Parts: sequence; structure tokens; C-alpha cells
Amino acid sequence: MTTHEPNLLNLAGSHYLITGAGSGIGRATAALFASLGARVTLVDCDEAPLAELIDNLPNGPHARRVYDLADVEGIDDLVRDIVSANGRLHGMVHAAGTQVVMPARDIKPEMWRRILAVNTEAALALARNMARKRVCQGGGSVVFISSVMAMAGSAGSVAYSMSKAALHGMARSLALELAPLSVRVNCIAPGFVRTPMLERLERTWDASQRDAVEALHPLGFGEAQDIAHAAAFLAAATGRWITGTVLVVDGGYLAK
Amino acid sequence: MEDFLKEMADILDEESVNESDRLDGFDAWDSLAILSVIAMADSRYRAAFSAQQVRAAGTVGDLYRLLSASAKAG
Repeated sequence: MTTHEPNLLNLAGSHYLITGAGSGIGRATAALFASLGARVTLVDCDEAPLAELIDNLPNGPHARRVYDLADVEGIDDLVRDIVSANGRLHGMVHAAGTQVVMPARDIKPEMWRRILAVNTEAALALARNMARKRVCQGGGSVVFISSVMAMAGSAGSVAYSMSKAALHGMARSLALELAPLSVRVNCIAPGFVRTPMLERLERTWDASQRDAVEALHPLGFGEAQDIAHAAAFLAAATGRWITGTVLVVDGGYLAK
Repeated sequence: MEDFLKEMADILDEESVNESDRLDGFDAWDSLAILSVIAMADSRYRAAFSAQQVRAAGTVGDLYRLLSASAKAG
């Protein structure tokens, strides 16, 4: 006799906020979550890609908000508006991120402050709302997209590494604070995946540099969908006993 | 040009630099300095250059002309 497991990745009936949804990992995550049945609210600083994406998502209704997450002070209001218009949340995926490749000796304070604001402070400003009954539906999952740069050094990435490593510490402490509410908090640490951010970097590399970076990944560069799959695994019932940890999805980058 | 020269002086860890100065004459002209020039080009000129292109510039002035031409083209 064959028994059929329920679809453990089913997200029907849930509502997720996804930042950086206009491109790359955020966009792939929004598309996957919607295809698994979730309603998604898309947040990005660019309107055009959100409008195009939302028209092509299954299920729904979905929503979109144009917002620059460097404005950390306004994030409570952003979340309040989203909840009031679209209902309480089951979780969020913070995929928005920014990077400037510049050595420590030259990077300017305004550059690293913007990196920290978008990558790190916005993550805390968003996720702490999951402790509020008016925001959180009751139980759920928060996923921060960090990076292998949080765990392995890379010249020119000091500010980016700092911003992503902070997410790991934040996830562990938030996981303890939110566990009584059945809200889980985790990070995904991707290697280099083919996204607009990588394309920008690639324009500054010659062919041999590009090959050298790809060779750091025994499985080659990843795709945004590879990270979206991990986010869905953490958000869905498959991740119900996972909190306060970092899931490395890097094609073997850190195995060396 | 004046702002560019100040920026280059910071990157090269010098009090000041001139248009005619050869880049390979500076102790600080290394792979990290090249990264800084690439980032400066991106943030100030919205221009993307490879390390190879930056390395090919002989003088500070060559670099300025490379960045300016790209800004005009963009």
C-alpha cells in the first residue's frame, strides 16, 4: 500500500512579506512562494519590476510597496500599512541587499552606513514586528538572506561582510525572543548566484577573474531559484523545528 | 577634475596628485587601489570598468579621460 505524504511545502493560506522582490533572490522567492500558495507582499525600491512581477504571480491577491529600506525609521509604519491593507503576516524574507566592493582603507562612512542600513538594520526593523500580535498571524518564519561573505573573508567586501555577519548573530538572539510565539528566525548564506548584483560585479572583472570566482564554487555559480528553494524549505512545515541557524547554500564555496 | 584628483590622492594615500603622474609610480597603486577606482567610477560616474581597463591607464590623467569619456557616452 502506498501512503501519500501531504505536500509539506504547501504555503496556502499564508501571507509573506518579501523585500528585494524586484530582482534576483527576492524575485525568485516571491515567485516560488506564490506558486506554493502564499499571498505575498513585495517590497522594493524600484516600482517597475514589482508591477511586472505581480501581474504574473499565481494565486493571490498579492500586493506591492515601493520603499527604500535605508529609511529604517519608517519601517514600522511600512509594516503597519501592509498589515492593515493586506492582513497579518506569517513571516518575511529579507532579500534586499546592497554592496560596494571597496577596500577598507578607501570606503567612506556614508557607503558603509547605507550597506548596514539596508542589509542589517532593516532586517531588525522588519523582523521585530513579528513579536507584535497586530502584525503576526501566530507562528511563522523569518528568513534573512546573508552571504558566504559573513563566514569567509574577501578583499574589498569588508562592509558587506560586516553587514551579513551581523545577521547571523541577530538571527540567533531573535530566534530565542520569538520562539515562545512559534516564530522561527534563520539565515540563508548563499554563495555567488546569478543575479543583477553579480552581473554588476562581473562587469568589473576580466574573463580570468570571473573564472577564478566561479571556480571557488565546486558546483559553479548558483541560480536565484536555488536560494528560493531553501527559503521555502525554512518557511514551510519542513522547517518547523529549525530556528536560530544558518543554512549555507553555496555550491560548495565554504567546503574548501 | 579637481574633485577627481582629490579622490585619487585619497586612494593613492598621497597629499596630492597631478594629472601627469604615472600610476605605477605610486607605492599604493595595487589591486586594492584598482578596486577603489572601479567603485569610484561606479558611484560617481555610473560607469563599469574592469580591472584590466583601469590597469591599462598609464597616468592619473589617462584614468580621468577614461572615466569622463564613459560618463559622456552614458
